This record gives sequence, C-alpha cells and structure tokens, in this order.
Amino acid sequence: MATMPAYLGKAADAEASVAPAVARPGNDPYRLRPLPLDDVLFYSKRIDNSRLVRAADPRARGACWNAVGAAAVLLVLLAGTLVPSLAGRLEGYKLEALKGEERRLLDERRTLELQEAELLSPDRMTRVAERQNLVAPKPGQVVHLNGAAANGDFALVK
Amino acid sequence: MLERRLKWLAGLVLIWGALIFSKLVSLQALHHRQYAELARSRQEQVIRILAPRGTILDRTGAPLAMSVPTQAVIVNPQKVPDLGVAADILSMVLAMNRAELYARLEAARESGRGYFLVKRKAAWEEAQRLRGMRFDWIEISSGNERHYPNGPLAAHILGGVDFAEKGNAGIEKSLEGDLEGKPGEERILTDVKGRGVDSVEEWEPKPGAALTLTIDERLQFVAERELAAQAEAKGAHSGSVVVMDPRNGDILAMASYPPYDPNLPPGPGDNPEARLNHATSVPFEPGSVFKVITLAAALETTRLRPETMIDCGRGSITLFGRTIHEAHGGYGVISMAQVLAHSSNVGAIKIGMTVGEARMNEYVRRFGFGEKTGIPLPAESRGRVRKLERWSKVSLPSISIGQEVSVTGLQLAQAASIVADGGLLVRPRLILKKGGQAVEAPAPVRVIQAETAIAMRQMMEGVVMPGGTGYPEARLEGYSVAGKTGSAQIFDVAAKHYTHTYNGSFIGFAPLNNPAIVVVVTLNGTHGNLGFGGRAAAPVFHTVATEALRILDVPKDLPDEPPPTQVADNSAERDDLAIADLGSPGPNILEEGEEGAPASAPEGGPTVPDFTGKSMRVVLAEAAERGLLVIPAGSGVARLQFPPAGAALRQGERIRVRFSR
Repeated sequence: MATMPAYLGKAADAEASVAPAVARPGNDPYRLRPLPLDDVLFYSKRIDNSRLVRAADPRARGACWNAVGAAAVLLVLLAGTLVPSLAGRLEGYKLEALKGEERRLLDERRTLELQEAELLSPDRMTRVAERQNLVAPKPGQVVHLNGAAANGDFALVK
Repeated sequence: MLERRLKWLAGLVLIWGALIFSKLVSLQALHHRQYAELARSRQEQVIRILAPRGTILDRTGAPLAMSVPTQAVIVNPQKVPDLGVAADILSMVLAMNRAELYARLEAARESGRGYFLVKRKAAWEEAQRLRGMRFDWIEISSGNERHYPNGPLAAHILGGVDFAEKGNAGIEKSLEGDLEGKPGEERILTDVKGRGVDSVEEWEPKPGAALTLTIDERLQFVAERELAAQAEAKGAHSGSVVVMDPRNGDILAMASYPPYDPNLPPGPGDNPEARLNHATSVPFEPGSVFKVITLAAALETTRLRPETMIDCGRGSITLFGRTIHEAHGGYGVISMAQVLAHSSNVGAIKIGMTVGEARMNEYVRRFGFGEKTGIPLPAESRGRVRKLERWSKVSLPSISIGQEVSVTGLQLAQAASIVADGGLLVRPRLILKKGGQAVEAPAPVRVIQAETAIAMRQMMEGVVMPGGTGYPEARLEGYSVAGKTGSAQIFDVAAKHYTHTYNGSFIGFAPLNNPAIVVVVTLNGTHGNLGFGGRAAAPVFHTVATEALRILDVPKDLPDEPPPTQVADNSAERDDLAIADLGSPGPNILEEGEEGAPASAPEGGPTVPDFTGKSMRVVLAEAAERGLLVIPAGSGVARLQFPPAGAALRQGERIRVRFSR
C-alpha cells in the first residue's frame, strides 16, 4: 500500500541505491528505463467516519474541571501575591505625600510664628498704642484678678 | 533516523535553556550586587532632613530669635538648553520679571558661571512645582534662615549667626552647641515618576534646644528706648543699662548703646562700637558709685558707723603730691551717711585711708571686681583691679573714690545686688531654661554681714533724699529707693590727663526693705554739670525702675503722693541749706497737741531742731544730746515733725517725728 512509511522507506532505498543506468534487457532495446518510484502509486482513499461516535470518557470531564480549578487557584495565588504589593505601593504613595504635607505644615507654622512675633514686637505695640492715644499704666494701676503672673489676662484697671 | 533527529532537537532545546539559565545565574547571582546598586541608585534618593536651630525666647515665652525654612532656586546657566524658555518657565512659576531674569541668565552664561541664584526665598508651592518638572539644570536647595523678629531688641545679648547659621556673637556663639540642630538623613524609594513610595529614616533629625532667657522683652524695650533717648540728649557716645533681680541673679534687661540690627549684615559704614556690649565688654572708671564699696568695707572692718562724723575740710585734700577736690565746694564736718549722700571725695578718701590698702583690696575683690561674673556671653571683660603689690601711694585714695580701677556695668549691678540682697553675692545669670529644663540659680555667697548691708541701704537712701546727689531724679512714686550717683572724669590716654567729659552713672535698687530690682545706668562721654550721674543717668533709672516695678507687680511701700518737698533750682549744689526753710504742709495728725501739754512756752527756752531728712538713729542721738524728748513714728528717714523746726519748745513738750522710707 502507498503509505507514508512505505514511501519514506522506498525513498531511502531509492537514494541509497542510486546506481548507474542499467542496460535494458537484450530483447527490447527501445524500452525506457523505469523512472524512480515508477511502481508507486498514490491514491486517495475515502474513509467515511460519519458513523463513528466518540466513546464517553467520564474522567476527561473531571480533568477539564480540574484544569479550570487549578487555573483559578493559580490566579488567586498570583493575585494574592501581586495585590498586596500593589496596595502597599498605593498606600506608600499616600504615606509619603502625607509626610511631605506634615513637613510643609511644620515649616509653615514656623513662618507664621515668626510673623506673629514681628506683629507683637514691643516697638510695634508701642507705635500702635501711640496712634490709639493709649499710655502705659502706672504701677499698681492694673490689678490681676486671677492672681497668676502678670500676662495681661483678666486684669482690672483702677 | 528519527530518533537522531529528536535527539538533536532535544539538544538544541537544552542548549537554549542552558543559555537562558546561565544568563539568569549571571544576572541574579554573579552580577547581583552591581545591578542592585544600579537599581538602588535610580530608585532610591537620600534626602538630608534639616533640623532647625533652637529658638531663643524671653522669660515670658516671646521669641527673640528663630529659624524659618527657606527654599532657594538655583540654576546652572551652562546646562540650560534654551535661555528664553528657561526664563519663561522660571518667571511664570516664581512670579518674577521675565526680561530682567533673561538678562541675568544670559550674563551669567556668558561669564561662564555654573551657579546662578534665581530666588533666595521661594515659597514651598513654587519649589514643589519646579521639582516636579525634573529639569537637570534647576536645583532646589532647602535651608534655614535666622530671624530676629524684634529687630535691634536685645541684639547685644542675642548676637548673630553667619551665612552657615553658626553663631558668631552673643548667646548664639557662646551656646552654639545647644542651639545647633543635628540634621537627619532619610532614604526614599521612588517610582519611575520620582514619586516617593516608601521611606526609611536613617538618622532622626535633632532640632536645636530652645533657650529661655531671663530677659523680659518689655523691660528690655523700655531700657533700650530710654538709654538711646538720654544718650542722644546728653551727647553720650555709648552707654548701658542693666536690670537685675538681686535675689536670684536674673538679668531682666541688659541694654547697650549704640544699637544695631542683627537681621542686617555688617556694612562698610557701620559704627564698630555698635556691636560691642557696653554692659559686659567695655570697662570704665566708675567714679563715685564705687564709694559704696569703700563705705561697706569701712563698716565691716573699722569702727566707723553711719553717724560717725568725718572732717571733709574745705573741699580738697592733698596726698602724696596729688590734690583731689570735691565736686561741689567743701562740706566741713559731716556724718559718714552724709559723705555718701553728698558724694564727698574728701570724706570717702579719709574713710578709705581708715580701711587700709589690704582690706580695701580684699573687699574690692569680694564684691566681684577684677574677675568675670561668669555670664554666658563672649568677650566679657573682667575689668581691672591692680594687684596689691602694684598699688602706689595714691592708689588707695584713688580707688576709694572710684578711680584707678575699671569695672563693667554688669559688675556694678552685681555689687549693688550684694547690698540689696542683705550681703549675699548672687552671680548674674541669663539662661532661665535650656530645652525646657530649668537652670538652677547659683548658690549665694556671703560677702558682707547683713547688718552692714542694711546700714548701707539706709545710707544709700540718703542719696535720693533732699540734699542727696540723686534727688529728685531718682525718686520713685510710691516706692522707697536707694542708690548712688557717679560722675567719673574720663582719662585721655593720648594726652595723659583727665578731661571734662564724664562717665555719668547711677546704681540703685527698690524697694528699700526687700529690693526686687537693681538698676545700673551708665552714660559715657557726657559733658558739663548736666552730664553728671544725677542728671544724666538718674532719669533713666527713674523710668526703667518704674516700669520694672510695674511689670513685676511689686507692691508699693510708700503712699502714692510723696510728702511735698521743694528743691532750690541749683544744678550744682544740693545741700540741706536750700531746703531747710520750708514751711510744713497742711494740717497733719502730728500737729494735734498732746493732752496735758503746758499752755505756753517760757521765753528763752530751747528751740526745736530740724530733723528733716535724718535717720532715726541720728535724730534720737541728737535729741539725747540736747536733752529733748522725741516720739518717733514709722521707720526710715524723718519726713515731718511737730513742733516744726525753729519753734520754741515748751517745758516737758515732746517732739513728734514721723519717719518713712
């Protein structure tokens, strides 16, 4: 039969046994030498497999679901590895931004404290008081009601 | 055949796999460190975290010096690809003039500069915008800048810092170790866009310690204002005021004239004297204020007492070829207390000669002269007191009147505190708290006996009473005061003689019985009679002491309206004669007659002497000597008497004398 192995085998033999042209038998001087693989004929064989039915294999179905399950587990594992890392990174962004914001606010507070000190300087207070026609109290004129150190809170002017 | 082919295929696959595996090993194992370093260099940034310098506060917590953060924008003109674009970006972000900026950038590039300061103090938002642009030719430098929000207030105490924020004067320099912050370091992991993902603090930044001074900002302002005004009015070239609490040594104010602003760097035309602290670094001959030490030494080591009579002669004394004159004529025979009140040079010299060289030297040093007070300010002068073996024959009389010795204003304040604090020496201090922890006050050391201190206080009160050299400028309304004036002639070193310019001084404390403040005022380079201590320095004492007593809420010990006294308008002399003829004031409780007193006085009977201005001891001694009966009321110095001076005394009648401080 002209199957592939036969063909391959023939081809190998044909290659291996390449010989010079053999002289024709004496009784037919005009007969051509046979061509290589002259006696090999290919033909198409129609095979009707329409009545062929795959036999039911219950184990294959389970294997399919197993594969799906395995893939799902792999996915979960992968997500479980990547998602925390991603979440950590996102939280890291927020944290660093908050740290920067904290530093900025602390610096801003120092700047504001300086401005406050400049506004409350004795020289400026004196000039403002003079503009408002205010004078410094005399000794004993101011009575501090809370009894604490003289810090200006809750004072009574006699 | 097939098998051979399969084998070949398998071999190829294996080789390919091996190559991949070997590359993996090469990357992950052999060159791991190299690639990890490369990754770290690109992903990690090391950031230096600046630590602010410690804030300096006054005793009430008001900031006197503080550091604020700054962001400086720096550009490398050589790396800028397009100056026009750079000027556009920078001017837009930093709100600067585009044309001017472009011109400056161009000039910097042409001159080959690799560093160009665009804006020294950029806002944080501006700096962040520029950082986000990630240009390699822009650098944002973070730093701190020192500010003194009150300008020249307490500049001589605070000092200043240089461009590297290192202290170069005052407290900033002497306590640099405490004020200096230690920067920290942080490693930041960044993503491809340079955003921080994680950070690890390698070293935590340590801010400088906050220092709380003993200075009261309000009092410091008043002291500086009054000193400046009086110095300009009297033509003084320099001066100082020290206000101190004698009980614990707290320096409440220390002013120096001329002033300067530490926010401004020194300029070429500045007065170099302005940066000197005249209260601690510039000694001077104290003059008559030093008589306090002379008399204290006499009370401690001799039999002299406040009532001991001293012959002050006709106004001059010649010793060892040197003639020393009184400031205002001759006083004749007066008590030791009156020697101080009138500031008699002759009297003080005689008292000093009685003390002797060795004991005078001992007490001068006991009072802290000739050595530093230990205050934490750089360049403090110890003044100058010659060693005993180097004293000449005229040294003792000279030192007795405050010459041939040089002292600082702070040393005078320390000495006055000894008298005010009952004879105890408390070292002056400037630091109240360091980093929130209170600094312990120094332990007192006894210098003179308590009785000596009390006697000195009473004698010093006479200086501000009628007839004293400090009257009426140094008197305080509602408070008893003790003090001493000084008017030392300034020695011209080049010409080698004393000039007619003065160091006018006043040292004083109030109230008398439990002094809460000591104030020392010095004006250098005053002229004429109006440049004497009583006229130049005492008015400053009056204002500063009044304000100090108000701020400290010290209760008054005298009535608000002092007994009315009149003084002859004579700036040169203040002797008792000018006020002895005054009539008594309106009806007073002492004018009520005593029950059972005789109806009329016999003719030729004794007359009532004038006790006004004399201490109780003197009054009682004088009355006993004359055989008179005195009913004293109160304590201190005689203010009112009944019958009045000069009235005829009835037989058996007693004289009521009212004393107060």
